[in-house]
Amino acid sequence: MNLIQRIAAGLAIAAVSTGLLASPEDDLKAFQGFFHKRFPDVSNAELGNGVYAIDPVGRANWEAIEEFPPYEPMIDQGHEMWDKPFANGKHYKDCLPDGPALGKEFPHWDKKSGRVVTLPLALNECREVNGEKPLPYNKGKLASLLAYLAFESRGQLIDVKIPKDDPRALEAYEKGKHFYFARRGQLNFSCATCHMQSTGMRIRSEILSPALGQATHWPVYRSKWGELGTLHRRFGGCNKNVRAKAFPAQSEEYRDLEYFLTYMSNGLPLNGPAARK
Amino acid sequence: MRGVMLTITLMLVGCATTALAGQPEYQKALADAKAAQKKAASVDGEWRDVGKLIKQAEAAAAKKEYDTALKLADEAKAQGELGYAQAMSQKNAGFPSYVK
Amino acid sequence: MRDEHRGRRAARSLALLAGLAVGLSAAAADSNIEKGRAIALERSKGNCIACHMIPGGDSPGNIAPPLVGMKARFPDRAALKAQIFDATVRNPETSMPPFGRNRILTPKELDEVVDFVWSL
Repeated sequence: MNLIQRIAAGLAIAAVSTGLLASPEDDLKAFQGFFHKRFPDVSNAELGNGVYAIDPVGRANWEAIEEFPPYEPMIDQGHEMWDKPFANGKHYKDCLPDGPALGKEFPHWDKKSGRVVTLPLALNECREVNGEKPLPYNKGKLASLLAYLAFESRGQLIDVKIPKDDPRALEAYEKGKHFYFARRGQLNFSCATCHMQSTGMRIRSEILSPALGQATHWPVYRSKWGELGTLHRRFGGCNKNVRAKAFPAQSEEYRDLEYFLTYMSNGLPLNGPAARK
Repeated sequence: MRGVMLTITLMLVGCATTALAGQPEYQKALADAKAAQKKAASVDGEWRDVGKLIKQAEAAAAKKEYDTALKLADEAKAQGELGYAQAMSQKNAGFPSYVK
Repeated sequence: MRDEHRGRRAARSLALLAGLAVGLSAAAADSNIEKGRAIALERSKGNCIACHMIPGGDSPGNIAPPLVGMKARFPDRAALKAQIFDATVRNPETSMPPFGRNRILTPKELDEVVDFVWSL
């Protein structure tokens, strides 16, 4: 943790525990309320469809694409990966017994290792524990496996917890929240600048998607990528777009950010994988 | 003849020293740029182009284009410092006024 | 040459020079406006059209006010320049990047884009 994070997290925790600052539950109410006011006719479930919930023209195109979803072959690939045993005979299911419908269990705070554990992280650690090489985090095989798991988890409601018996969990949440609202990069944007302040408006011809619902639908087949990509790949791309140096996928910064962002979508149904422009 | 040879020699030496005159300034600017990059990174505030500018400065210096190398290193340093200042200014970042 | 004749010639030369200066600066401003337009429309430079409607530009964003009537909105060119240099001064929560402070544009580019925007 760097100095800024230490200061921010320390201040926040002191303030939350003394009731001076909003708790995560207060944050959640304010965050979701903001979007419900901005888009009063859009349900929580629909918000998981991003811009296609608020842009009728885009939605028509998207619905046409969804008739033959570009991510379908990857779901099949991922299914094969899930079923195939490791060289030592074990399976992913031995590490993650609730799978494949386990989307709602991630991300979560892991007390033992003292960090936020995301699904991609858990999958690679399962591989390593069983003598397999970890897979790259941004795209490719791991993304296909995630597509299968996301598909099987559709409909589950997001329910990220911040356990009260470990103050480090709240710290990670506060660090993710700080990341979200801090201006960064040469262009001086925070995530909120586009996805809260200007959501629904157009940057050039592109409508800015609302932050509420952004965590529900990963991995994403993005036409721009011509392939499936993960949430952390998108974090990196966004950071580069505002001319900030990107952090590595599954870095502590991005895992804490995912923790905050997913918590903010608590109550929304998972609906991955998804197709986007 | 000797006068001409002397003039030519002096000119050549003069040119060489002018070309190398930028080198110590560049070296300092490069060191400053790298320090600024590190400082920005230490607070998660590094900007996208700082690393690239440093590489470009080093490439120009390798070709002995010290004027260009100096400009690039100075730009890298400036952006490094701005990234650090930005991160420090965002210490209290949280829910903006337009939410709630 | 007699004095008054010399005086008239001097006056004429001065007038010519003054006219030339005005003409040159007008021409410079015009070429600045063209350079500024290019900066405003270029994605890697000002990219103003990402958020602002600009007359003559295609597919503008709508995040920010359209750039029209600029001399009425900013009677003072220096105020417009300050706003483009660093919009966070007037509004700390602005979504507009600080084009000058963050070195997105060089001082020369900033002047050119100010000339362009002020002409709208």
